[in-house]
Amino acid sequence: MSDSIKSLLFAIILCLVSSLLLTAAYTGLKPFQQKNVFLDKQKNILMAAGMLDREKKYQSDEVQQIFEERIVSLWTDEDGNIVEDAGGEGKLIPIYLCVENDKIISYILPIDSRGLWGKIRGYLALQNDGATIAGFAVYQHAETPGLGGEIEKAWFQKNFVGKKIIGKDGSFESISIAKGEVSKRIPEVQQANYVDGISGASLTGKYLTEGLREVLTDYEPVSIRFRGENIIRYSEIK
Amino acid sequence: MSESTDKLITTASEPVWKNNPISIQYLGICSALAVTVQMKTAIIMSLSLMFVVAFSNLTVSLLRSIIPRNIRILVELVIISTLVILADQVLRAFLYDISKQLSIFVGLIITNCIVMGRAETYALNNPPIQSFADGIGSGMGYGLVLTSAAFLRELFGSGSIMGYNVIPSSFYDAGYENMGLMLLAPGAFIIIGLFSWMQQTIMNK
Repeated sequence: MSDSIKSLLFAIILCLVSSLLLTAAYTGLKPFQQKNVFLDKQKNILMAAGMLDREKKYQSDEVQQIFEERIVSLWTDEDGNIVEDAGGEGKLIPIYLCVENDKIISYILPIDSRGLWGKIRGYLALQNDGATIAGFAVYQHAETPGLGGEIEKAWFQKNFVGKKIIGKDGSFESISIAKGEVSKRIPEVQQANYVDGISGASLTGKYLTEGLREVLTDYEPVSIRFRGENIIRYSEIK
Repeated sequence: MSESTDKLITTASEPVWKNNPISIQYLGICSALAVTVQMKTAIIMSLSLMFVVAFSNLTVSLLRSIIPRNIRILVELVIISTLVILADQVLRAFLYDISKQLSIFVGLIITNCIVMGRAETYALNNPPIQSFADGIGSGMGYGLVLTSAAFLRELFGSGSIMGYNVIPSSFYDAGYENMGLMLLAPGAFIIIGLFSWMQQTIMNK
């Protein structure tokens, strides 16, 4: 057998063996991975809504139980109506409600933003006044660990709590990430619309600011509803 | 202790200090810059790399007599990438939080020159067990530099160790500030440079 045919054979066999190995690992581990991703989403929705203590470790069934008790997954249309079924006409976007004894405490929006290296995905929870942020959580990103990656840390996400998406005059302002500390960089009037930035990661902050603005604009119709009409009872939606 | 275990220990300890992959051979610098902002990521990255080098060395060494010389680099690459993807998949299935933190860096072990370098210069010419020991040693040497650099960077850059704050807030009140340079890649360059200098000075005594 000539050398090149031998090499070719060896290469083919090696590739077959390694693809078999990888396929086996991929299919074998997939259920575990999917369960992790699913649980992680639930955990982050609850975290955004402030239903989980960030310092505490939760078992997966605990998370699932709290999620089922508290969170309802629904849809909202362009006019800000909250509907149960995705089957209706018009463009529908997902929304989660955090409910306690029929009272809607907060509503949670999925965040899908551009980041420096890849997508940033997470959840932003707003209180039932339609203006105050109840919490923020990130479950997927590809930012540099230690720099932009800090967006997944509690210190960064905690800064969102209590901030406003509307300005002093009541008009929509969105929420932005400042370059550096809010107290030093931002005039007093606007401080409620800014959170502290991450040093060394101003681009991540810039993209996330843009992403949050886009999402909040999309959900503005429903936020207006919350601000004006006080949709507070879950049973009224149903 | 028997002679063969003695030899194994020598093989494994050589790349930890005397032939350190980063500070002596200057390989794998790129990942050393990227993951040393915090100690936790540095440690897990070192462990993942150790796993990959050890097993890629073992596999390459087992196959060394039948690997055709003209395509050996490609063969090494296939073996290494298979192992890296396996490690990544296992982390995702069982250590999801950690795999999320390391994000893209586990995948980037494929391009880490240490893995390829050890397969090419050591595993192709040495028996399997020896090669495995060499891989473990290289992983430890990599880990030594990474954790030392990460310790300094996290301490001076963020004022914490392993995520716990160690600089009291009274220091900050008195005007102490975290060093922003430490969080950026040039800070890592300087530290690794100093580490290498220090090591060479000690060794040349």
